Amino acid sequence: MTTFNFRRNTARELNELVRDAPVGVSLTDDHRRSLSARFRAVSSAGRRRLDAWSVEQAGQPSSGFHWTPATARRLLGNGAMRRMVRQSISPSEAVSDEIEDQLLRCASGYARAGSLAYWLASRSASEIALVSAEATNWAVQVHEIAQGLEREWRVAASDAFYDVASARTSLRARRDLEVPSVEGRVVLRVRSGSPGKSAGPGLRSDLTIDTLADPQGVAPRRFIGVWPEAGVMLSVDGTMDDLRAGARDLVRTAVVSERRRLQKAA
Amino acid sequence: MPTCTDPSPRSVVEALRGDRGTRPRADLTSASGLRLILEDGIFALLHNVLPATPIVLRASSLRQLGPSTDISESAHARVRGILVNHVLRLLSVGAAITDPFEDALRAWRLEVESGELLDFVERLQADDLARLATDVTAHSVTLMRSLGPVNHYWLPRSAMRATQMLCGGSVILRDVIDLMVGTTVGEFASVALFDVTTSPLGEGAERALRYHALVQTLRSGVVPLRTSCFSTATAEMWSLDVDGELLTRSADEVLCALANITSHA
Repeated sequence: MTTFNFRRNTARELNELVRDAPVGVSLTDDHRRSLSARFRAVSSAGRRRLDAWSVEQAGQPSSGFHWTPATARRLLGNGAMRRMVRQSISPSEAVSDEIEDQLLRCASGYARAGSLAYWLASRSASEIALVSAEATNWAVQVHEIAQGLEREWRVAASDAFYDVASARTSLRARRDLEVPSVEGRVVLRVRSGSPGKSAGPGLRSDLTIDTLADPQGVAPRRFIGVWPEAGVMLSVDGTMDDLRAGARDLVRTAVVSERRRLQKAA
Repeated sequence: MPTCTDPSPRSVVEALRGDRGTRPRADLTSASGLRLILEDGIFALLHNVLPATPIVLRASSLRQLGPSTDISESAHARVRGILVNHVLRLLSVGAAITDPFEDALRAWRLEVESGELLDFVERLQADDLARLATDVTAHSVTLMRSLGPVNHYWLPRSAMRATQMLCGGSVILRDVIDLMVGTTVGEFASVALFDVTTSPLGEGAERALRYHALVQTLRSGVVPLRTSCFSTATAEMWSLDVDGELLTRSADEVLCALANITSHA
């Protein structure tokens, strides 16, 4: 059984969630093999990509991705956060540097079509300013959350990716901040809007993917979803029950989306 | 006899930030009390019968209590308001604005891509479009002249959304704050909320000011320092320091607006 902790998003509550997190369990090779077998059992026309969003949407196919200020803000905002940790600069300055870097990448021919750098390079100055405003909002929000933490924190180096062996399935979990300690890590994911009814299963699948992506298979002690706009937090512990439930959600999503695809084809 | 008064602030931003030395300690306790007042009031209003669909309240619900014909709600006025808000967003990140209408329209198009109001702009005749452009430019120039430089160390963020669910999601308070500066992390209150309107300021604007402070307090758990509103129609600015009385009054106004909505339903 999974227990989700629902709390108000205040520094005191967040520190309590971090402090009281239980020790996370570890996945073994048997667990990984078992998951791979389950995914292999679900047929697929092509490569399957699953994440918390697809779990929350019950496998509904999403409309094609395209860059907008809202989709660019997390990438730029988290990049800006990393700069702010390295240098003592403001969020706006860090976002400006991040955008300049992206534009430079495009100008020097390193950006491929469809990338953020490529998209930014085709935008006018006022459009880039709006993207910068969105990314600054993100960076300030994440920075405020991080500043409220009593323990040492770091910006996640990247999202967690896990390729399920021989199942043509890629799993992706988003993560924004990590609170490392000798007992294990606590992972924070910042999200827009308010948590819906399926936010819990989404968070649980993030926990499972993050654990699978860890080379030793060590689960985070706690995975915390933060919704600053709604001022709430939801968390799930890194227990074996929660990891199993997360894996079941992911497999179920694969089954449902495959069933949808077959119905559409028929 | 000469009278000494405090000098007027030179810019909107200066008025927003105020004197650093006079800031009160951050109030971290009022939010729970306000939530209790609202929850109790809503349950009394709804007579413990929860609505099938949530009742959504916005700042606009408090600006205009009850049905009315307000010219500020016309499509032209709404587009003007949106575009002037986009000018503020661009100014908040230090963008150089050469043509306020064109710059704001480009930014808005990038953000929304399609919608009723964007279609309205697309369908405008050349003379109506020119009228809108002149209107937006005039309001934006007033804003640009009055705003003053926004220091990036004050952590300016624009179009900040907030949602608060009350009574298990039966009532949802939604809000968008045009510009917010300061941080909720710190010993002293430093968050200043700023709203821009293209209409003249009135009683409704004052209620909206209090509503912004209330929703921000419920969302972050920290009482903001002040809440302000600037009219680009009159270049007038109203600013209120946030305290317990202001927040309680806003909670009462929210309950009044809810009573209005439920009685009309």
